[in-house]
Amino acid sequence: MDPLRQDEFDSQACGSIAPKAKPCPRPKPGEAVGGCSFDGAQITLLPIMDAAHLVHGPIACAGNSWESRGTLSSGPSLSQYGFATDLTDSDIIFGGEKKLKDSIDYIAGRFAPPAIFVYSTCVTALTGEDMDAVCKEAADRIGIPVIPVNSPGFVGSKNLGNRLAGDALLQYVIGTGEPEPETDLGVNLIGEYNIAGEMWDIEKLMNSAGIAVTSRITGDARYKEITWAHRARVNMVVCSRALLGLAKEMESRYGIPYFEGSFYGAKETTYSLRQMAYLMNDREMERRVDRLTEREEARLGQELRPYRKLLRGKRAVLYTGGVKSWSVISALKELGVQVVGVGTNKSTEDDVRRIADRVGDDTEYIPEGGASRIIKTVRERKADIMIAGGRNMYVAMKEQIPFIDINQERHKAYAGYEGLLRLAKELTYSLANPIWKLAASPAPWDKEAPPYDR
Amino acid sequence: MSRDELNIKDNTSLFKEERYVQQRENKKQFEAPCSEQETAEALAYSKSAEYMEKNFSRQNVVINPHKACQPLGSVMAALGFEKTLPFVHGSQGCNAYFRSHLSRHFKEPTPSVSTSMTEDAAVFGGMNNLIDGLENSVALYKPEMVAICTTCMAEVIGDDLNSFIGNARIKGVISEEYPVAYCNTPSFVGSHITGYDAMIKGILSYLYTRSGIESHPGSGAESGEKLNVMLGFEPYTGNFAELRKILGAFDTKYTILGDHSGNYDSPATGEYEYYYGGTKLADVPQAANALATLSLQKYTLKKTQEYISGTWNQQLAALSTPLGIKGTDTLLATISELTGLPVPAMLTEERGRVVDALMDSHPYLHGKRVALVGDPDLLIGLIGFCLETGMEPVHIICSNGDVDYNEVKFKDEAEALLAASPYGTEATVHVGKDLWHMRSLLLNDKVDLAIGSSHLKFAAKDAEVPLVRVGFPIFDRHHMHRYPIIGYQGTLNLLSLIVNTILQQLDDHNSGFNFELVR
Repeated sequence: MDPLRQDEFDSQACGSIAPKAKPCPRPKPGEAVGGCSFDGAQITLLPIMDAAHLVHGPIACAGNSWESRGTLSSGPSLSQYGFATDLTDSDIIFGGEKKLKDSIDYIAGRFAPPAIFVYSTCVTALTGEDMDAVCKEAADRIGIPVIPVNSPGFVGSKNLGNRLAGDALLQYVIGTGEPEPETDLGVNLIGEYNIAGEMWDIEKLMNSAGIAVTSRITGDARYKEITWAHRARVNMVVCSRALLGLAKEMESRYGIPYFEGSFYGAKETTYSLRQMAYLMNDREMERRVDRLTEREEARLGQELRPYRKLLRGKRAVLYTGGVKSWSVISALKELGVQVVGVGTNKSTEDDVRRIADRVGDDTEYIPEGGASRIIKTVRERKADIMIAGGRNMYVAMKEQIPFIDINQERHKAYAGYEGLLRLAKELTYSLANPIWKLAASPAPWDKEAPPYDR
Repeated sequence: MSRDELNIKDNTSLFKEERYVQQRENKKQFEAPCSEQETAEALAYSKSAEYMEKNFSRQNVVINPHKACQPLGSVMAALGFEKTLPFVHGSQGCNAYFRSHLSRHFKEPTPSVSTSMTEDAAVFGGMNNLIDGLENSVALYKPEMVAICTTCMAEVIGDDLNSFIGNARIKGVISEEYPVAYCNTPSFVGSHITGYDAMIKGILSYLYTRSGIESHPGSGAESGEKLNVMLGFEPYTGNFAELRKILGAFDTKYTILGDHSGNYDSPATGEYEYYYGGTKLADVPQAANALATLSLQKYTLKKTQEYISGTWNQQLAALSTPLGIKGTDTLLATISELTGLPVPAMLTEERGRVVDALMDSHPYLHGKRVALVGDPDLLIGLIGFCLETGMEPVHIICSNGDVDYNEVKFKDEAEALLAASPYGTEATVHVGKDLWHMRSLLLNDKVDLAIGSSHLKFAAKDAEVPLVRVGFPIFDRHHMHRYPIIGYQGTLNLLSLIVNTILQQLDDHNSGFNFELVR
């Protein structure tokens, strides 16, 4: 891997404006921060469900991470297996390349995957193993692609890892295959990982409008479909922070136009579908999209009516990563929920601008982590609900704040029109649960009022 | 609004709808081009004895690991002390994993920070990160002690924690008196239990040394009555409560060294604090003058035990997880011996009740073949429990079982335990194997029940064996850790869990003619 390339890389892909003002921020020591680049790279590539994912390093990186994200598969499950070379101290001293080679051979022989992704870790990057060479040699020998993913934890944040994974796809996967001649070419969905099955909702919607999905990068993907991603007519970047660079590179390399969009909220969904049809330059498709979105929005409007009544004026603090910050705001606004605080720690400059477009001046930006910072905002802004990820969930419970999970552990799909309906239902359900009243009232023999009046 | 009115479908029911099924069918064109027959053949082969042999000759790749790394154990250990902030020296992702892992198991927040080392630290060393990290975390989280452990990265580049912490003091980032304990925990050696041990030893030795107190075992303030107790890498907060109940019944004074139950079983009061409970820092040096130390995970706490019997020159009794009637008997006899106090009548009575319960259930347990996966000390306890109930352990996998205590290896002790019972004759103990090995074992030599962590659920499902979740981590069931599994009460809990799983199986797989009301 080329060392110390981060800053240059940031300026290319970390947002279109003012990279100097806000490059991918380096994590600050001594704070409780999120995942590392290795984590990020795995997150991006693990949803390629039929491939094998082998972690080259000590047991920690695989032992602590396998099968811990809710990215669903409609078929193959090889991606769910935790493969690791489990390096020990003698491997650190004498090198783990032989072990890696043997591991690749074993996986190829036993599981016959269409491809093997090999992830470097802090240790193998530091001991200077030539993973690229081992992978290349193995690929030649066993006849299937063996893709090195050079994203050791220490190079930076999870977001950087997402992008390094995108790099690996560009370098080793995209453009290496061709679709069947009769394949209907359409859109690549980039940065959508099929958490809780959201990809399936999106795909169904696109199919209804007659828009084909060419490659899923990477929610519920098959290795093969990514090899011909370069034949798509449009790229939609669903999570910009993660893989915008990939779309930009594909634009310059293959001339595929891209746009950044989201499927959270009816407006964003309609915009995204329209944008696809527009970029495909197909009038008939545009008309179909218009008919579909009108119909869906009308239906949704009807179905949402009772929830809007219940949710109007409710106040939420949203603490999540990157793209979700701004796009979930849109969804919440449509439900009448006011976002009074929003996390921006993983957002690009563009993302922050989008947030600003969508919220009023009265919204507090929460730039960095730490549970207490989020809780403080909830208290000060008198929020009714906290919308965040698993690591903050239990803090919300301690503080007796209604909560819904918006990150990778969630079990509800919130994308598209139906997703918005589901979000409305979940919000209502979470707010209405009798446990909050119970929790907020003191024990009968305890006269003291609870610390927070809601 | 009720759930029914809302009609929320989760992804188990939603995606069974026709249109999603259709969508999945359409996607098959992208999948590896082999026929359904080939897939079925490959699957069948993976379940065969021939493959099992190949699987067991596998040397170089781990498939579905059943161990976590050292620093994860260290974070848990650090949370066992009053107002102590776990501080992980390395790149940031490790810490994020530990926090998720522990929070998913306990369903509680895990305060822990990282030095977030990046490439420049890899080249120039992590000293600046450590110094900045100390400054930031002390300001942000206001701990009374910081407990630093290392990760692979810091170990590979050879960072010297002692001198770095010294430099932080020289730079005035922390005061000379501010306590900072540390330990070295590279993940390429040992497992989460080794890391737990390293941090406990790190904290005990650090706080003892800096206190200047001399060790005179048995001369403590409570005139030698106080007992030190260590539970080890303990995934059950309920076990702490159970142990307190037992020690309370004995009416002995005691100090639990490393008590994370406060942090992982705190009430929802409406205000989150970073620190709940834990061993008082001032109690640690005093512990050197206790009457004796009782360790409940002898393989886990190897180095700490050596330290206590060595430097503190203290009497030490080391057991494995006290589970089952005999396991608990040993625990009570040991406490009685160490303190000179008689076993309280209340516990004898409880013993009788649990023996009664075991008798009630024994027809459903006898001869049940069981597979076990876990940490070494837990497994010794579980094997003992199985044998005394007439269940037959068949497959036993201990990924991190390459440990010994007093030169007795875990594997040898487990095998001796099994050999001493007619119910243990079929058992094989596999050390260093993973859950993919266990899958082969479950498929080729059927058992009635698997006992292990949530990670075992994949293999158990493939083999259609019911899984009783015991150990760490348990991600997919709620509140298991709140129920003790040690002591007589814990034995009763475990018994209920197992026997009712078996009874549920009976009902689920019942054709009808013997679908009975009374079992």
